[in-house]
Amino acid sequence: MRRLSFLHEHSAMLSVLGILLVMGIFGWALMGQMPFVRTALSGLTLGALYFMVAAGLTLIFGLMDVLNFAHGAMFMLGAYMGWQFYTNPTFLFGLFPLIFALLTGLTCGPLVGYLLRDYTAEDRTQQTVQSGLGLAGVLVGFLALNGLDIIGMADTAMVDMMNSANPLAEITPQEPLGIFWFRPLLMVAAGALIAGAASRPGDKTRMVSQADARRAGLGLGALLALTAAATLVRESGPVAVLTADANLRFFGALLVGAVCGAGFGAAVEVALIRPLYARPIYQVIVTLGLAYVLKETIQLLWEPLAYQMSRPPLFAQPGKAANIFEWFVTHNQTVDVFGVTFPSYRLFIIAIGILMLIALGVLMKYSRFGMIIRAGVQDRQMVEALGINVRQVFTFVFVMGIALAALGGIGASPFIPVQPNMGDAFQLQAFIVVVIGGMGSYSGAAIGALLLGLARAFGDYLALKYNLSPAIAEASTVIIMAIVLLVRPAGLFGRKE
Amino acid sequence: MVNPEANKSSPAANQDDILRVEGIHTYIGQFHILEGVSVHVPRGSITVLLGRNGAGKTTTLKSIIGLTPPRVGKVIFEGKEIQGRRAFDIANLGIGYVPENRAIFRNLSVVENLKIAERKKGDLERKADFIFSLFPDLKRLYRLPGDHLSGGQQQMLAVARALVPDNSLLLIDEPSEGLAPILIEQMMEAIRSLSATTTVLLVEQNFIMASQLGSQYYIVDDGKTVREGRMADLIQDKKLVNEMLGVGGAK
Repeated sequence: MRRLSFLHEHSAMLSVLGILLVMGIFGWALMGQMPFVRTALSGLTLGALYFMVAAGLTLIFGLMDVLNFAHGAMFMLGAYMGWQFYTNPTFLFGLFPLIFALLTGLTCGPLVGYLLRDYTAEDRTQQTVQSGLGLAGVLVGFLALNGLDIIGMADTAMVDMMNSANPLAEITPQEPLGIFWFRPLLMVAAGALIAGAASRPGDKTRMVSQADARRAGLGLGALLALTAAATLVRESGPVAVLTADANLRFFGALLVGAVCGAGFGAAVEVALIRPLYARPIYQVIVTLGLAYVLKETIQLLWEPLAYQMSRPPLFAQPGKAANIFEWFVTHNQTVDVFGVTFPSYRLFIIAIGILMLIALGVLMKYSRFGMIIRAGVQDRQMVEALGINVRQVFTFVFVMGIALAALGGIGASPFIPVQPNMGDAFQLQAFIVVVIGGMGSYSGAAIGALLLGLARAFGDYLALKYNLSPAIAEASTVIIMAIVLLVRPAGLFGRKE
Repeated sequence: MVNPEANKSSPAANQDDILRVEGIHTYIGQFHILEGVSVHVPRGSITVLLGRNGAGKTTTLKSIIGLTPPRVGKVIFEGKEIQGRRAFDIANLGIGYVPENRAIFRNLSVVENLKIAERKKGDLERKADFIFSLFPDLKRLYRLPGDHLSGGQQQMLAVARALVPDNSLLLIDEPSEGLAPILIEQMMEAIRSLSATTTVLLVEQNFIMASQLGSQYYIVDDGKTVREGRMADLIQDKKLVNEMLGVGGAK
């Protein structure tokens, strides 16, 4: 009885795996071992990347009902930030003091509200004060950035020269501290002014508790310290990073890409998504607009060019490792897998994909946080009525989803060109993955990503072999989606009614 | 006839009311659903909200817990005004909400459905014995996914979920809806025993259940509280019951 119910419960998953197995055996027999293994591994690489983009997309949609059209752009953002950290960290180190300074200023909001708690004013005065403060904030922010050569800091060569004799070849000059010091100060002021405007001084309906104010005070202190530290390492930081071990720097780049994605995701959720919960359509439109703004900003900074990021030495030693275990010693650029010569870096991407799948699965299945997400996908209001701050969970899920996509972006950078529209294709495929897997289901995203990755790879193989148009491979994913939707309109694991 | 005065008269304020709802107006979208609901819930009792379908009983509960915040009026819980606060904030003051239609989390297991309601670590361990004494079935179903449960079992789980944290007030919406008579008996028994420790505000269409459990009643009609009093008096007044509760009232 229990066995039967297990089969019933996982029928979708089992049938998909069964179909894949049957097709795999046929493929192996018809194609021969070498082409089959090579194509399957390519498919897995693609699938791993699709999963990292689609997992966030499906959770964000399932829980928050937000279709994030900027997901591909955030994949791209992660790639650019990580790549910058890896090749020319000047840009990041130069901007971090200003970003931290702005955040420092913004945390002043509750403090301003608390200090002015006894001040009341008429509506007209309130509006004047608010717009005055807001305008002053923007003006001061402009002054803080005035004359700063951001585009100059971003300047990076098309094909990086990391392996050349001089590791500091890419580094771009920055203003000396003697000129720079006033910028973070002005930025703090700008943030404080904007926060002051947002805290609506004079409006009695907004109450700030002492606990809120105390928490803001602590955050202010921490961020102030961070700003000071970031200002001090601004010039020495890039040199230290570039002269450090290249492998370490690469893993640092993965982390930086994901963290930048997370930070950006948090800012987007708080500033753009959260105020629009009453108007869900606007949320979708905002993300669509954001994608364009991001792409244009990136083009402004780095030109609409395709950059090549070099692989870290860990995956770049000439020659071929006889098996994966030998690779751990030799760090060759290719590895022999069942007689197929395959780039070791792509195996690393597959490993990251599997690692993320397991981590996400454990998080969703065994943690309280995951339990809340699963419950929230079904009934947000009830979760809230149990005493759980659902909005806060939304922010975490958004941040997590964006961080995962950004990690996918920087992970993909060593083998796909870094360019402004690099995320578009992944976003499209990820949407198809989400539809196939069922909105809000992370296991559905995993199976869907696997299916699409393999379909793309085998489609490409067949198109090449039989001289067909490569469009066949691209169409195959949409055909799979159509079939799945005919059989199961809610997607393979869709449960939301 | 409905007494037109009853509409205006606010229930007498009592020092020991755990919850006072004072003339709330609630809108859902553009629709004016509640047009003046006032309810006082004395501590340690079962208060029943009666009324026809669509009268605004469910919206009254949702307005208290903050899922549909009232635009006008006050909700006072333990002496503090709570209207306008976010729902999670209100719930954390110690209010449990059992929605209608067995709204459990069907994709979570029974134990997860209970676990998610914990506000402090160990809530469920402390309350497990009490919960299983009320609903022995749940112990047997502990690990099953929520969608494997029958309607009655889901309803019991929904009530049990509200018992996990330390709540001083429970808002229970139509616990008998769609249940077999024998399960209604069990549900009544459970609500009676949990009311020994917790105050209950109950919405109930089934007059037999309502009259046996409640010590006082409010009748909501067309978004307004039109009648209130002691349940014992209402049971005598067959005419009013028929008029206010319509078909299937007191038989």
